[in-house]
Amino acid sequence: MKLQHYLGGLEGLGPVSVETRVFVEEWEKRIFGIHTAMMALSPQLPLPATPSTFRTVWTWADLRKGAEAMNPFDYFKFRYYEKWLGGISAYCIANGYITEEELEARTAEYSADPDKPLPQGSAEAPNGLTIDQRVERYLAEGDSPKRDVDIPPAFQTGDAVHIRNVPSIAHTRLPGFLRNRSGVVECVYPGTYGYLTDTGTDGVGAPMPVYCVRFAADDLWPGNTEPNVTLYADLYATYVAPAA
Amino acid sequence: MTDRFQYANDREAYSAARAKALESLLIEKGIITGTTVDTVLKVFETKMGPFNGAKIVARAWVDPAFKARLVADTPAAIAELKDLPEGMAGAEGEHMRAVANETGVHNLIICTLCSCYPWPVLGLPPYWYKDPTFRSRAAREPRAVLKEFGLDVPETTEVKVWDSSAQIRWFVIPERPAGTEGMSEAELAALVTPEAMMGVAVAKAA
Repeated sequence: MKLQHYLGGLEGLGPVSVETRVFVEEWEKRIFGIHTAMMALSPQLPLPATPSTFRTVWTWADLRKGAEAMNPFDYFKFRYYEKWLGGISAYCIANGYITEEELEARTAEYSADPDKPLPQGSAEAPNGLTIDQRVERYLAEGDSPKRDVDIPPAFQTGDAVHIRNVPSIAHTRLPGFLRNRSGVVECVYPGTYGYLTDTGTDGVGAPMPVYCVRFAADDLWPGNTEPNVTLYADLYATYVAPAA
Repeated sequence: MTDRFQYANDREAYSAARAKALESLLIEKGIITGTTVDTVLKVFETKMGPFNGAKIVARAWVDPAFKARLVADTPAAIAELKDLPEGMAGAEGEHMRAVANETGVHNLIICTLCSCYPWPVLGLPPYWYKDPTFRSRAAREPRAVLKEFGLDVPETTEVKVWDSSAQIRWFVIPERPAGTEGMSEAELAALVTPEAMMGVAVAKAA
């Protein structure tokens, strides 16, 4: 099991951070922009082609999978965008866009001269969109997981349900603290929803209904939570079974 | 093992150099252009941000019928507002839902698995939202966590915690603070913070 799949309810962590800034270091903005551009240029999206040489799929699922694969001590040790920097660099190396040696050498250059300007890049002669236009279009249009597939939901609002303990390996959308717990369907979202990748034995990817399921906190952590707390989670149908 | 708990002395300088190195290589390889990252960042300064959510909440405060529609069908209600930028159903806002605080009910939005956040109306998540300590603790002991943000929620008030684990991106309509009766919509919008729209704060009359 991966600790990252079981964060909800973990104890002994000390006070929360109340830092309200999004970026706490200037460089964090750059890696956020790189990630978002790669998502926008990812070839599975129904957007016009650009001159970009990016040719492999990059979605939230890839970023999340990387973070979930980390050593759990490192996961807590490194800040959010430090994890992104590690994961995105590793992906670009693994997919042959850059080499480790190039990245090390260029890092050394910018370490020696942090103000050295970025390269300008070559002029684009697009048939469709420019790279930057496609990025803006992705942000404006999004990438809805709603699918045009009709699968009747097995449960209705008010039904008692049991949450399965599916074998999640690399990636999951089922929070660990809900596994083997009982809840009540709060609502059934209209239609069916895919996920960004196929999570294998974990079970999401193909279109399926999604339920909002309600849990009493005292059922999740008996005798070890606060009174009058209700927790709601959006759960793909594959995670939801009839109440025993 | 002890190395695991130490940070390099040049932690930030190294990350800054490495991020710049990665960006420069991706530009040279033709994956992005020299202006792509700035293009992304500009969208979050001008089009997608908490300034939109604040306008939506202020409208809900002055128009109870709009508030009811906002809770019943969030995207349709948002689409009614013509003074918002394009892209209100764009990335990370394709399926948004608003929940309203009321007497006896306080809502808190979390994402225990990652950092799902309604980009079009709230922009990018603040540091506290993404931090694993918040994500772990807010599920089991929300009142203790809210107290650390300076918010006391009595046990007589139900705390509803919404874990964003599939397609829905949640946000909170905080209650309109007392003493704001004469304020314009623009003045009201200035009282609405990202923290209030995620439920770790309430809106306060300035």
